[in-house]
Parts: sequence; C-alpha cells; structure tokens
Amino acid sequence: MADSTLTGIPVATGIAIGKAFFVNRNHMANLPRQIVAAEDMPAEIERLHAAFKSVETELAAIREQVPEELKSHGSLIDTHLMMLKDPKLSGSAEKYIETLGLNAAWALEKAVSDQEAAFEAIKDQYIRERMQDVRVVAEKVQTKLMGVKTDLASISGRAIIMAHDLTPADTVELQVDKIMAFATVRGGKTSHTGIMARSLGIPALVGVGRLEEVHDGDLVVIDGLTGKIVVNPTETELAEYNERAALFEDYTRKIRRHCHLPAETFDGSRVMVQANIELVEEVTAVLDNGGEGVGLYRTEYAYLNRTTLPTEDELAEKYIDLAAIMSPRKVVFRTLDLGSDKFISTFGELNETNPAMGLRAIRFCLKYPQLFKTQLRAILRASAYGNVSLMFPMISGVKEVRQAKAWLAQAKAELRREGVDYDPDMPLGTMIELPAAVMIAEFLAHEVDFFSIGTNDLIQYSIGVDRTNRHVSYLYQPLHPATLRAIKLVVDAAHQAGIEVSLCGEVASDPFCVPILLGMGIDSISMTPQAIPGIKRIIRQTNMHDCRLLLKDVLECRTVSRINNLVMDNIFKHFPEEVTFFSSLLENDELPS
Amino acid sequence: MMDESTMTDETPGYLSRKVVVSSENGLHARPAGRLAQEAQTFDSEISLVVDDQAVDAKSILDILTLAAGPGHMVELRARGADAEAALDRLEALFLNKFEGA
Repeated sequence: MADSTLTGIPVATGIAIGKAFFVNRNHMANLPRQIVAAEDMPAEIERLHAAFKSVETELAAIREQVPEELKSHGSLIDTHLMMLKDPKLSGSAEKYIETLGLNAAWALEKAVSDQEAAFEAIKDQYIRERMQDVRVVAEKVQTKLMGVKTDLASISGRAIIMAHDLTPADTVELQVDKIMAFATVRGGKTSHTGIMARSLGIPALVGVGRLEEVHDGDLVVIDGLTGKIVVNPTETELAEYNERAALFEDYTRKIRRHCHLPAETFDGSRVMVQANIELVEEVTAVLDNGGEGVGLYRTEYAYLNRTTLPTEDELAEKYIDLAAIMSPRKVVFRTLDLGSDKFISTFGELNETNPAMGLRAIRFCLKYPQLFKTQLRAILRASAYGNVSLMFPMISGVKEVRQAKAWLAQAKAELRREGVDYDPDMPLGTMIELPAAVMIAEFLAHEVDFFSIGTNDLIQYSIGVDRTNRHVSYLYQPLHPATLRAIKLVVDAAHQAGIEVSLCGEVASDPFCVPILLGMGIDSISMTPQAIPGIKRIIRQTNMHDCRLLLKDVLECRTVSRINNLVMDNIFKHFPEEVTFFSSLLENDELPS
Repeated sequence: MMDESTMTDETPGYLSRKVVVSSENGLHARPAGRLAQEAQTFDSEISLVVDDQAVDAKSILDILTLAAGPGHMVELRARGADAEAALDRLEALFLNKFEGA
C-alpha cells in the first residue's frame, strides 16, 4: 500500500508522477523557539541580518527576470523588497534577540506579530491586507534561518509543487519548465493555481486535505482526472499509474487529432462547442483544442486584485484583442459577475451576511451604473472588431433586463454621438441561473436574442445547496430531476420564441452529461478549453436519436440515483475510454453519515 | 497646497513641510514603497506626521500603518545635514503623485 492517498478537486487534467516539493508555508508551525545565551546573541543577530540580506539578493535577482508582461507582479516584488529593507522589521527582530534572547526566527515571528497588531487597527481594507505581504517576506527569511531549502526559484530538477496556497506572487518566482503538477490545500475551480496549471498544460488539484503529511522528496502521483494524490506508491501502484499516464497521453493525442472537426452527430445534428475563458491569453488553448468560439468570457479578472477600477480604454484594449483574434468566431462577453464577497476596496464596506443572495452580478452593476456603462462601452467598442455578443448574469426578472438594456442603449447613443464604431446588431442575451428566470423563460425570451444557462448556479439555487459546504455538498446533483426539468423548460421556451440557447456550466464539460444535453436540443455548449476535444469526440460518436431516447427515459425518472444509473449505463456501453479517464460530476455519491 | 519650508527654531532643530496626499488611493503599497525608498537615500532622520501620529519615513510598514488617504494632510519632518534636500525630494514625490522621477 502507498503511504497514503489524499483527495482534492481536479482543476487541470492529466497524470504526473514525481518528487514533491513543499512550498514551505505550513512548516511555520514547527518554527524553532529557543533561548540564546548572551554570548551567542551577536552571532544570532548576524545570522538574522545575513538571512534578510540573502532573501533580498534572491528577490532582486528574480525581480530582474520578471518579463515585461508581468509588470504588475514586478511591482509586488518591489513592495516585498521594501519590506525586507524596512528597518522596522529587522530592527524590531534584532531588539527581541537582544532583550529577550530569542533565536532569530522566533524574534522575527514576534516582530511580525507586532506589525499584525498595528495593521489590524487599520480601516482601509486594502492596506490591512498588505499584512499578507509582510508575512510572505518574513516567512522567506524564517525558512532561510531554518535552513530549509524552499526557494521556488531554485528547484533542482522537475518537481510537483505542493503548497497551502499559491498566490500570484509565488507563481512569479516559479520556473515553469520545472513544474510537473500543482497541489494546494486552498483554492477553488477558478483560483489562480487552476488558471496557471491549465495554461501550462499540467495537472493540478486544489482543496486537498491533509496535504501537510506529504514531505519534500516523497514520490507522489497526481491524478488530475480523479482528484487523487498517491503518496509513495508501491511498485505495483507505480506501474499501474505509469501505464495509466501513458494511456491517457495516447487517448489525449488521439482525440486532439480530431478536435478541429465539427461537433456533428452520426445523424447530422450540429452543436456548437465553445470555450469558457477569463484571460485573453487562453485564446491559444481555445483554438488549439478546436473551440468554435468563446461561449463565455468572464470579465471579472480585470477588476480583481487592484485598488482602482479599470478604465474604459484599458478594458477596450483587452476586449478588442480578444474579439479580433477570435474573429470571425463568436465571443460572448458576460458583464461583470462580482459580488461583495469578492471585490475591491473601492466600494467600501459591502459586508453582507449572505453574499450568494446579495448584491451580486447584474444587481451590483445596476447599483453602480457608471461602472456598468464603462464596461458596456468597452464591449461595444470591441464589437466593431469581431463577432461579439453580450449577456447579463443573474437576471431574475423582465424589468431587470429592461433596465440593463436601457444602459446599453445609452452607451450606444453616447458612442454614436462621439462617432465611435460599434456593431449596432450585437446580439444580446441573458444568463439563466436563477429558478425565477427559468419560470419566466417564456417572457424573458421576448427580451433578448439568446439564453445561456449557467448550470453551476442554477443547481445551487434550485436545490438550495452550497456545494463548497462539505455537510451538504452531496446534494449538489447536476442530474437532479428538478435541474433537468428546468433546463428542458428553458430550452423549449427559447426554441418556441425562435432564439438560441447555450449552456455554460460544468455539466457541459462532463462527458457523462452531454448526451442528455444533446437530447434536449441545446444549440451550443461552452466549457473549459481543455475539455473540448473529449466532448467533441462524444458528440461525433453518438446520434441524436439515441440521445433523445435517453432523455425521454431520464425525464421519467423520479430519483437522481435512477437517472445517474441510466446515464452511466449509456456511457459504459458507448464510451468505455471516457469511463476510464474521467471522473464525472455524477460520482458525487458521498452520503451524509 | 504647499506651505513654505520653515525652520522651526524652538523645536530641536528639524525642518518641517506640509503636503497633501493627492494620489488617488492615498499612501498605498506602491507610493509608500517609493517614499520609503527615497527617504532611505538620505542620512537625515525623516518622519511623517498625520494627526499627531509620527512615523519613520524610511519604513514602508510605518507609512502603511498611517493609512493616509487621498486629501490627508501630512507633515514631513527632517533633521540632519541633508534635511533640506530630503524635504525637497519627498515633497516633489507627493506633488508628482509618486509617479515619474
């Protein structure tokens, strides 16, 4: 048996086998705490300063290597450098060595705690959060003092990076060609780690429990397909995983060869297969994987991790790039989908007790129309350069759509007056992710040109379950009869009104769920770029007739488990390879104990 | 918004000048870093005073804890051989909103 098997949430697929390299966040629990004899104090102080100096030299060297396009990361390193040089931090640590006789690492810990106390009193959230940077630099010095080799920039050989959490600051220092995979304790599907891993094409797991049990140098298997980490596998296990990794590579190569063919079933039905992205840089992945367009461009990224709002020109520049590169393929822009749970300090103290139901997405935009209009103008400007559509998230009623449309009309009128080009016929859609929107889909269909069903939120709001809550996450069931009926209702309402409907939740990239979506008559599905080849393969190897029959049976089922069994049987029968390689949302069978 | 540089003879030999924080976000990480960096190039003791709270201008952490927002009045105090030059330099930084030279 392997030493242990851990589980996490796969955020980038693939299998990697290699040595673990722990980015030393949590080892701080083992910080040495010793009293230094009076005669050893000068030496200890010298050790402290040498450690500061050595981290400073390393950071400065990394600073030199930061490429132009990561300039904002560069300034973060500048801040870290200033904190290292700050007489306050090293000075106060020195004082603790002198007066209390603490060892250097411990003395620095106390100096950091003092700073923490000073920062906690600060009202400005942004400044208060800079305390994290103080932590980061102090930990660098402490690890240096502890003699643990953790410098991200100096990994010898290729390694699997493990960490409590990886910040953008950490990833600046990583030498990407040396990384085989990531595993972190914190983070979700859309965290920085996932984006980074997907763009590097390496497997990654987040939300891994007990990760601290892994030691530097342990041989680990990261299975980004099932979400497993096998620590120090046996010979037999290792052989199995090696074979599995080779098989997966073959399979990936095979499906990628056909990924540029249209997604057409045996009996001639076409479905658009598009990609969900949040960075313009991901366009390469979309095109390489055979994406026929961008079905969902998440626009939040440009607003996060900063203290000022992006300007219209700044946004327009990005949007125009995206529209132009993808042209003539479609790009669907989703307007800002942010809430008070994740937003910049510009908007002050928007603390809500229940952010999922609070001032989010379109509600937020309608409350701050100036911010909304800036974004609408930028998107309109991009529409002159490509095949651009626009959609509003979290719509709950007809009036909301009309209000949003009024701002869009105003933005158009302004641009017209200013003589700025835009596409006057830019298609407009709403996302359907609230049960309310499902119920009135028939009315909403008259207001817009298309629907896009966001299943992640729709499932959570329909079943009333927060899937990150481990007590109830077992209830998050994509193929719950209620969810299926909701999707069916929306598709039918759209087609009745003669508009198109797409689907952009995770369900769209789950090979097990796709045949059902086809059976419903969905016009387009949108997913992470990496999932496209696999899904296209499913579509190209099935026929609509079978999908309709499957759907008919499924819609008659009264329980989720019955539906899941039917769907699994179908996949087992027709797509054995997918069963081998992919974990499905349907395998969510943990029951409450 | 700048007061003239004034020698305050009665207090023990420091120069003082008042400036207003005009950078959009106040003394956040980048401006605070810039300020500390510049201050460190002078030998004089330099402090920033906001609402009776005085901190070391050579410490980015100290400057951050001031949490001086846009519009805040800051008093620069310097004592030492190059005090005058230091104040000129730091005042210029405030004026340029911590951008450029």
